[in-house]
Amino acid sequence: MDELLKDFLTETAEQIEAVGTQLVLLERDPSDAAMIASIFRLVHTIKGTCGFLGLNRLGQLAHAAETLIGRIRDGATPTPDAVTVILAAIDRIKAVLAELERTAQEPEGDDEDLVQALELQTAAVAVPARHPPATALETAPPEPANTEPSRPARTAEEPALQVRRPETIRVAVGALERIMLLVSELVLARNQLLELTRRQSDDTIKAPLQRLSGLTSDLQDAVMRARMQPVGRLFSSLPRLVRELASEVGKKIHLVTEGAETELDRQLIELIRDPLTHMIRNCAAHGIETPAERLAAGKPEAGTIRISASHEAGQITINVIDDGRGLDIPRIRQKAIAVGLAGDAEVARMSNDDICRFIFAPGFSTAGAVTSLSGRGVGMDVVRENIEAIGGSISLSSTLGQGTCFSIKIPLTLAIAPALIVQAGGHRFALPQVSVVEAVGLGPGAAHTLERVQGAKVLRLRHEVLPVADLCQLFGLADQANDWDAKLVVVMRVGALSFGILVSAVADVQEIVVKPLGASLAHLSVFSGHTILGDGSVVLILDPAGLAGSLGLQRTSDYNVTAPADLTAPALERTRLILFRAGSDPLKALPLSLVSRIESVASDRLTQSDGTLITMHQGRLMPVVPASPDVALTNNLHPILVVSVGGESMGLLVDEIVDIIEEPLEIQIAGGADDIVGTAEIRGEAVDVLDIMHFIRQARPHAELRGVARRFKILLVDDKLFFRDMLAPVLTSGGYVVTVCASAADALALLQRGIAFDAIVTDTDMPEMDGYRFAEAVHEQPRCGHLPIIALAAHPTAPVLAAARASGISAVAGKFDRRALLDAVRTCLSFKDLANTELEQRVLTEKAA
Amino acid sequence: MSAPGTRQFDSTKPLPGLQIERRCFTVVDGDEMFGLPVQSVQTIFRIEGVTPVPLGPADVEGLVNLRGRIVTAVSLKRRLAKAPLDTARGTLAIGIEHDGENFALIVDDVGDVITCEESAEIARPPHIDPARARLTSAYYRLDGGILPILDMKAVFDFAERNRSTGSAHLNTAITRSDQ
Repeated sequence: MDELLKDFLTETAEQIEAVGTQLVLLERDPSDAAMIASIFRLVHTIKGTCGFLGLNRLGQLAHAAETLIGRIRDGATPTPDAVTVILAAIDRIKAVLAELERTAQEPEGDDEDLVQALELQTAAVAVPARHPPATALETAPPEPANTEPSRPARTAEEPALQVRRPETIRVAVGALERIMLLVSELVLARNQLLELTRRQSDDTIKAPLQRLSGLTSDLQDAVMRARMQPVGRLFSSLPRLVRELASEVGKKIHLVTEGAETELDRQLIELIRDPLTHMIRNCAAHGIETPAERLAAGKPEAGTIRISASHEAGQITINVIDDGRGLDIPRIRQKAIAVGLAGDAEVARMSNDDICRFIFAPGFSTAGAVTSLSGRGVGMDVVRENIEAIGGSISLSSTLGQGTCFSIKIPLTLAIAPALIVQAGGHRFALPQVSVVEAVGLGPGAAHTLERVQGAKVLRLRHEVLPVADLCQLFGLADQANDWDAKLVVVMRVGALSFGILVSAVADVQEIVVKPLGASLAHLSVFSGHTILGDGSVVLILDPAGLAGSLGLQRTSDYNVTAPADLTAPALERTRLILFRAGSDPLKALPLSLVSRIESVASDRLTQSDGTLITMHQGRLMPVVPASPDVALTNNLHPILVVSVGGESMGLLVDEIVDIIEEPLEIQIAGGADDIVGTAEIRGEAVDVLDIMHFIRQARPHAELRGVARRFKILLVDDKLFFRDMLAPVLTSGGYVVTVCASAADALALLQRGIAFDAIVTDTDMPEMDGYRFAEAVHEQPRCGHLPIIALAAHPTAPVLAAARASGISAVAGKFDRRALLDAVRTCLSFKDLANTELEQRVLTEKAA
Repeated sequence: MSAPGTRQFDSTKPLPGLQIERRCFTVVDGDEMFGLPVQSVQTIFRIEGVTPVPLGPADVEGLVNLRGRIVTAVSLKRRLAKAPLDTARGTLAIGIEHDGENFALIVDDVGDVITCEESAEIARPPHIDPARARLTSAYYRLDGGILPILDMKAVFDFAERNRSTGSAHLNTAITRSDQ
């Protein structure tokens, strides 16, 4: 692209943003001459440059806009209509610029409609005669200086502009990022050096090292500062947003922003843009009352949305406050009960603030009407998720009739984070300090105690009972001190969840540079990254959200939306299960349909051969695998469950058959270990349901290779962890092998690598690429043209079904309707003959080999 | 954009007209020798201070600080499913970058760089354990024996393996350590 054009585009993009903001301000205060001059100047520069670069379409539009703005500058009153049409013109200019940036060509089409509207307004606004033109330059045709594309002319007539644009140079974001990375490495090297010299007493090196250390800190600070931008950058687009919202909902709204100079990392500014916009939409749509309602309530006609940013203890606090009607607590309470978030009794015990927090639950909206603004059931939960994703938190308080205050707290930067270095089982881990609430000692006489409830550890902390994750136990680390007394519980908070982590000690507090895990370890959800400590050792960084997940806490679990009790729903299907004991762990179970016989075999008939147990069964050798590593081999008779694998059999050695029952099988906790599908509650007892495939692989590795025991493979795509975790076990328990993906892009990447699936289950509502477009993209992949796709929707309504059909989706199932999902998958796969596909694939792989 | 007159050569492919051959870096594990494509070997070093990764794949020994860079240490022995889990760890490692991630492949010993002629390549013996065969890209007949060439892509395919639900490496390791 032409260098001149490139400069022009970057420059104008910023200026045009500024014009939009200023116009809205102008509408409120038409007397600000300096502002009018600067708006005029910007449009004027664009027009001039367009002529220079031969951009005719843009030039005409800018000219028409300039004429109208010129009229206003000359003293005409900016009517709302005039401002609206100018804003529309600026939008059009933006669109044309965007196209220019992509193709380096002006797009086809003309702007006759807008030009006419602008001319109409120019004629409509009257100019009082008493205003002479301010300076000669403003009415003069573009001068050579003005056509300089990279910079508006800085002349003496523009004091306002000069003050606003201090001396700056443009630096590519990538260059700044690189400097940041290098400084991070420098900090690490400095820390290592400090650690080394701590043990030495050589004074000659100490002084320069101190200096190096100080300089490094200063440099780090300076670079961080360079990445900082005033939050005002974000605020600048808000007046226009509020103006549009106000006219859309027919309310009068003032916007007040405070603390625009507060600085934060540019990465974060971009990340909070969407949540902030969303919250303001909410205030405008729900918070602020109509002018009539406000007057009736004795308030000023115009509502106020106040947005303030401030620094507070290494964090940025942004408050969004409205003086509207406040949250309708009784209505939220009702709705919470109606959608099954909480029971009557529970809600009665909750404080108002707790009840307010329900609005952060997924799909929660009390809005009666669905407008284009809000009330669509997506909203505050997304805001909360976005804020929490960057290590922030959101809270709110509300007074009926007086207004609502949302408060966001976010860290200053994401690159370097203070962390607690904790020890457990002789290993060290880093724990991001932002999630740490406190550390609680458990020694004798300590105020708080660790207790066991049915084998699970909990901490009684003041009036709360927190689940506690024992790092040693979780990670299978040898625990030297089995004495809780010497240990600590670090209390963590992730969003609304609190839990504890049991560690042996807190070794240190350090600033760490977070580095992401490589692909080989990225699947470990309990770790968010790794870092090098001052002493040169590598430590893993614990992921608080992942740890919460390992405790069975879900980010959304306290808002766990369960479908309201449906009396017409069919009862759960009952499965015949064989219950048995193997090893010391809880009772185990297998669906009886998998077991062909139950045999009793004496120990002396079990022979060790090549590391595997073998016995004679119906005249043939049969491999036997213990159902648990600690099944005792005594001289007594052993029950063996004989499982048939496509013509071959294998035995599963157990300690004792307990019972055969017929119960609904509902996997409640997905299995963490390889050998279990998950844990189900059967007759009030937790029972591990074994994954028979695991044992078949052990006993008859070739059976699986030959595919006789192959199961259908399903790819599950959903952007929400909650649903992935909920639906994957449902599909697994349905007998499918499930692979999960968090986005359409990930899923497509898997397919592109040639990984074959028999069906895809996808969410419809996903960011970036939704389920419909994903389905179309899948069917365009080679070999995936006929891959059945089942879509998940909150409610499979007619429009959803139509859209699904149009994009080649085979079936739609409700997200909370497990049975419908399994039925849909079964139907879609019923035409697929497992054996045939298998044969085909085998021939193909043999050919390929 | 390349300047006129320059041509890009793929360094992994032989230039036309030359004898097709392959240079391999040999490593020893137990009594077996393997070849690694020479272009994938970056450095050889002794590892110290391994940070284990709880819940990680069994053949990942842990994380190592290699001159300020974090590398994932993988035991070739465990990768080949030869060693029970409690075998003492070797310290000789080969630095290999694969798919943007830095790995240290732990081996018992390193040998020479040898040149394998195309004419010496043999077909894969059909009865090799499929799990093993998957890790090998070619076999060459040498004077001293047959040299299997490790397929770096298959050896470091963690990303793929972790995505699929199976964890065959664990199973093999467990059955073998039962003894």
